[in-house]
Amino acid sequence: MNVREYISSGIVESYVLGLTSSEEQSEFERMCKQYPEILQARIDFEQAMERQARHNAIEPPPSWKYDVMNAVTSQEAKVVPITGIDRIARPTRLKWVAAACALLLAGSLIWNISQYNRNRKLQNSYFDLTKDYDSVALHLTEIEDEIAMISLNPNVKMASMKGMEVSPASFATVYWDTTSRDVYLVVNNLPKPASDKQYQLWALLNGQPIDVGMIDNDVFIGQKRLLLRMKNVSGAQAFAITLEKKGGSEKPTMDSMYVMGNL
Amino acid sequence: MNAKITYGEDELVSLLRQRADSSFGYLYDNYSGPLLGIVSSIVADQETARDVLQEVFVNIWRKIESYDSSKGRLFTWMMNIARNAAIDKIRSRGYRDSLKNFAIPETGETGAATLPQLSDTGLKKVLTTLKEEHRVLIDMSYFQGYTHEEIAKILDIPLGTVKTRIRSALTHLRTMIK
Repeated sequence: MNVREYISSGIVESYVLGLTSSEEQSEFERMCKQYPEILQARIDFEQAMERQARHNAIEPPPSWKYDVMNAVTSQEAKVVPITGIDRIARPTRLKWVAAACALLLAGSLIWNISQYNRNRKLQNSYFDLTKDYDSVALHLTEIEDEIAMISLNPNVKMASMKGMEVSPASFATVYWDTTSRDVYLVVNNLPKPASDKQYQLWALLNGQPIDVGMIDNDVFIGQKRLLLRMKNVSGAQAFAITLEKKGGSEKPTMDSMYVMGNL
Repeated sequence: MNAKITYGEDELVSLLRQRADSSFGYLYDNYSGPLLGIVSSIVADQETARDVLQEVFVNIWRKIESYDSSKGRLFTWMMNIARNAAIDKIRSRGYRDSLKNFAIPETGETGAATLPQLSDTGLKKVLTTLKEEHRVLIDMSYFQGYTHEEIAKILDIPLGTVKTRIRSALTHLRTMIK
């Protein structure tokens, strides 16, 4: 491993700025433990970033501090410590009253603490919920945008591609914008390909297949994308999907054609 | 009793973890400026920036237990909390809706990439020295929080190209801020 090269590859900056994937991140952390030069490069860049940030600091108006302090301390419990009760001989009745008061106080303290914990739990789950809500809402907006893109556009033609012999249950849909030539694909149902294979979309024009791009295997795992943007195509009468080796083929392999449909 | 004390990062971390009185005031006094600078490079208006800054400090206070000094400096950790909070904000539905009040031109495929026009402060200023194809990538990934995959899709360029261009833009950036 060439340490110099690794350091100057941009990985240090990516890591510090939080732009690495989680694999790159754990690899970089391993490297830092192993090579002191890499660790030093990280620290140097971190310090440069701090200088840069301090140089470009924007001092908040003084009134903000109060609000921020309030927001932070409202997270914290306010438990007042009890100082020792004087042990002076008192009339018995007063003693009973004092004992009852102490008991009440202790009870209220316990109640306070449990309320505080409850509040904190609620606050945490509230935070989590808002986060979830935001990400769901974002996802929804994306979907809305995508649907608007195809369904509100009168120039978009649709091709429903039905399953062929190899896989009769398969089904996919192509939306083709006849003016902008954009091609969008919806994978309604296709079996998950082996990791060395990939689906390829073809347009058919006068019997000739035209490559319209590969379907990323990521589509079959994790959060599904509704619309896949494929390559533009200037003319088509039909569309078809074949299963090819990873990276695609020049010509479609006819006997592994999964779906096909006319415009 | 207002003697100027300065703490090293390690010291400050352990005071914060002990929830020591005044440790928070010290944190705020020493870091609110640079953190607001970072937040403002992502969030344009002052009122939103104030909300985000507040969230940043609440997060620092809540998460200080999970800070791991072997993985990076305290400042870096806080800087990333600030950036993430700002990006969460501009990606939240409420913020996007509020932007709709301004006329945003409906530009085809790169529309999403150029949504908010941001103030040119700090790192953003350094950005202007990059060439266009690099600038766009750093802007989208660092300032708008798009993943490499999303960028590749939006700009319609291969994922590998996105990665190498970002890396080379970043090494250029390093020479600029040293």
